[in-house]
Amino acid sequence: MERHFARSFDSLDGVFAFIEEYLDAASADPSLSYPVSFAVEELFTNMVKYNADGPDRILISIEPLEEGVKVSLVDYDSDPFDANDAPPAPVDAPLADRPVGGLGLHLIKHMVDSLHYEYANRRSTVSFTRKVGSSDVRNKA
Amino acid sequence: MFEIRLEEDGRIALSGRLDAAQCGKAQAFLDGIEKPRVVDMADLDYISSAGLGVLLRTQKRLMASGSGLKMVNVNSHIGDIFRFSGFDQIFEIQRAPDA
Repeated sequence: MERHFARSFDSLDGVFAFIEEYLDAASADPSLSYPVSFAVEELFTNMVKYNADGPDRILISIEPLEEGVKVSLVDYDSDPFDANDAPPAPVDAPLADRPVGGLGLHLIKHMVDSLHYEYANRRSTVSFTRKVGSSDVRNKA
Repeated sequence: MFEIRLEEDGRIALSGRLDAAQCGKAQAFLDGIEKPRVVDMADLDYISSAGLGVLLRTQKRLMASGSGLKMVNVNSHIGDIFRFSGFDQIFEIQRAPDA
């Protein structure tokens, strides 16, 4: 199941509705909803913010895995950026030294089982997998 | 749908989904808060990193005066996100009884 979304934060309601539509149709475990929504929002809004002049659509696709899902986001005509290369967030720093921002990619790594990036012909494709329970954030302390 | 309001008892109540599209609304409200407050998250279903940024920015401003926000009735998903963000070191956080 795939759908294009306009390159805007205003698309988020539609993105979340799309995720719920898929999970309902697939009779997927409800526990997938939060981590999948969180990871998609972080990746989608990164594409909105850092490729603001890109084409006015971003493709999101969801496909089933055994006990989980694989989600891909495609940004057309973009510069390369691999979320796996993002620097670690200073989560142990005192309040005064905490930057506002930069937590999203750190948190994604707690919520997904794998995060994969491909870049070809100026097209960025970032994919993640998430299975029921296998990477519950409570198991990654 | 996201809502933020000041309750009669002085608590700040959040409800719905605090995502990147709603951060402007949340930040505008919290910028008007001038003293420490309890933030009741009993009806908050979802927060993204953009929402965390709103809370962090507010905490930095309030803590400059000595005390800041205390989050209560935090659900299990949001509580885990706070912990993995290290927010449990810079905020007072009380999980919901069933979280």
